[in-house]
Amino acid sequence: MEIIFAGFGGQGVLTSGLITAEMALSAGKNVTWMPAYGPSMRGGKAYSVVKFSDGVIGGPDYDTPDVVVAMNGPSLEFADCLKDGGLLIVNTDAVDTVPDYNGRIDVVEVACTTLAESVKNIKAANIVSIGAIIKARQIFDIEDAKVALKDYFVSHGKGKFAEANEAALMAGFECVK
Amino acid sequence: MAVTKSVPRLLENPHTLCPGCGHGIVFRLLAEVLEEEGYDQKTILTLGVGCCCNMNPPAWKGDVIQTAHGRAGATATGVKVGRPDLLSIAYQGDGDAYVIGLAETLNAAYRNEPITVITVLNNNFAMTGGQMSWTTMPGQVTVTSPNGRDCDITGLPIKVPEIVASFENVNYVARGTTISAAEINKLKKYIQTAVRNQIEGKGYSMVEVVSPCPTNWRKGVADCAAWMNEEVIPYYPLGELKNNNK
Amino acid sequence: MKELWKGNHAIAEAAMRAGCMFYAGYPITPQTEVGEYLSGRMPELGRKFIQAENEMAACYMLQGAGSTGMRCMTSSSGPGFALKQEAIGYLCSNWIPTVFVNVIRWGPGLGSLDSAQTDYFQATRGGGNGDYRLPVFAPNSIQETIDLMYEAWDMAEKYRNPVMILSEAALGQMMEAVEFPEFKEGPKQSEMDWVWDGVGDRHSFNHGTPLYVDKPRRVREKIETMQENEQRWESYLVEDADYVCVAYGLPSRTTREAVDQLRAEGIKVGLIRPIMVWPFPFKAFAEIKKDVKGIISIETTDAGQVVEDVALATKKMVDGNVPVYGLYTAQKVVRPSEAVAFIKRVIAGEEKEVF
Repeated sequence: MEIIFAGFGGQGVLTSGLITAEMALSAGKNVTWMPAYGPSMRGGKAYSVVKFSDGVIGGPDYDTPDVVVAMNGPSLEFADCLKDGGLLIVNTDAVDTVPDYNGRIDVVEVACTTLAESVKNIKAANIVSIGAIIKARQIFDIEDAKVALKDYFVSHGKGKFAEANEAALMAGFECVK
Repeated sequence: MAVTKSVPRLLENPHTLCPGCGHGIVFRLLAEVLEEEGYDQKTILTLGVGCCCNMNPPAWKGDVIQTAHGRAGATATGVKVGRPDLLSIAYQGDGDAYVIGLAETLNAAYRNEPITVITVLNNNFAMTGGQMSWTTMPGQVTVTSPNGRDCDITGLPIKVPEIVASFENVNYVARGTTISAAEINKLKKYIQTAVRNQIEGKGYSMVEVVSPCPTNWRKGVADCAAWMNEEVIPYYPLGELKNNNK
Repeated sequence: MKELWKGNHAIAEAAMRAGCMFYAGYPITPQTEVGEYLSGRMPELGRKFIQAENEMAACYMLQGAGSTGMRCMTSSSGPGFALKQEAIGYLCSNWIPTVFVNVIRWGPGLGSLDSAQTDYFQATRGGGNGDYRLPVFAPNSIQETIDLMYEAWDMAEKYRNPVMILSEAALGQMMEAVEFPEFKEGPKQSEMDWVWDGVGDRHSFNHGTPLYVDKPRRVREKIETMQENEQRWESYLVEDADYVCVAYGLPSRTTREAVDQLRAEGIKVGLIRPIMVWPFPFKAFAEIKKDVKGIISIETTDAGQVVEDVALATKKMVDGNVPVYGLYTAQKVVRPSEAVAFIKRVIAGEEKEVF
């Protein structure tokens, strides 16, 4: 499984990648996480790549991802490298028009920021997107994912935010039909 | 009562310094101080690059690290990290410590590394044949200032001990000379104080020695002394620049 | 239990566990986290950290501490690592065991922050004056970085020589799940027979001969011994391969993916992955079959560096004039799809051999 979280700097795309990596690790997978690096970080663009597998993982950078999370318009460029049948999650709060991919890939529109706001955790739009992926692709058991999410915040000394972040995760999870 | 002075064990072997050079006297004083303090077998001497290289073994029977040009301040810092129980002394010329190694010299002092630095100032790069140093006097002829040093375009002679003394936590800075028996006695006191400063864990100490270079100055020993008295020492005042023990 | 660790932090923690007592360095991206981590962790365990005034000074601090037998290290990247070359020569000249970490960033001069392998020649040939070599470890995962770090000082002390860990920007910045070995200590300084200990000139070669006596012969013997004993590599599907790729570090991982994809199509490709790039694993090439059709170096350089060692090893170990090709991907680790496409072009005769 290869996932790109992309957006502007500040939208938490490194963190959402890292949390997903921790969820994969706790599910017993081999994992790599790589932050966007070098020139690709210029212009406020940021992304991180998470790969996990039961087998050996090749390079940490993306090649043909299974999932792309586009938190803003410019990030839609990553959709072009999605494998056929791959999943594009679009944050409709920051993307005006979603291109027509003619059925090559699955597109799921999620109002990440609005949903985060609805659970009074406006900073957690990135975590909403993780919930959406879990529902759309069943990559993790949602209960295990909740535990891993909580562990992540507790181990980073931010345990008091664990509950609010779980609400954001579930808002994303439940919005996907 | 007659006093018999034997050659310190550290200097039993012959050296290859030029006749009239001040280095030999400084090494002798250092050897005496180390023996008297009981540290002649508990000292690692870091040599810079220049005429002090003449004191690599077998000339100096103590423990010597030969470092790169200018880097003795850093190397001696590392020695003290590796063996805090030993004395770590950097021995350098002015070209080494004040020109190419100005960064390492000032930064080791700035951090107040618990080492002792002895620098020999002879107003030129002696080892390579007498080129201009940052300590070359105004108008002084060297092989790279053949018309005499023009300070308008090359800077004024640098006074590193004065800079080091301005670092508030540095404990001991002195400047001596080898020009006379009386001054040599004072110089030994300075070296002894600097070494004790390190033994007692009081941080960084520096002694600069204004020293003749008959070979490259192309002067007899007497003329060297006369010139030093007239020009060099008035510019580089002798004595303790800083002694926080007092 | 495995935990996710960033490559640079893992280097630092592994160094601590391997008995590193002193770190000196100067910050430069993309390896700054090594020093940052150690600035807190070293004093915690009563060890020493110095933020040096520059990269050269850091190395000479290592000369001082290393001469006393203390396990010490520095790390840098790009132009910072270039500044260390003079000192590496001095450490080799004086036979001082120390550990250098280069998290390579792309390009000469300021270069860029991109992940690359453009310091390969500097690492394997040496950027300083004189004839010297360093054993150079080239891990391709964070776990392997930890494991190789853990034995770096053992090898340095065995040969009384600096050793180098060659990482690359992406390997320093990425995270993987790893486990750390237990803490261990280096040999006692007082028990080493060559150290500078304040007593006198006893730091000779091990039989009492001063360091400056008969040096050229001793240097040559040391280099030859390291070349004979320390070649390390991993072979993947080499024996029956018609085409053998050679790649180290992160490109070896994506190349392996490419090998798997080509094998799935019935194309017999294999991979030699140097784990040490000096000494280069010439012996690995003995496994290559006689009628191999081509050897392909895949590397993150601009104009080809590893390919020269690949050509030398091919010349020495493989019969016939087997062509050697090079795929150089400059500022980006090769993607599996790029490697597959290149290898297919080689097979189709559309790529010109380098050697």
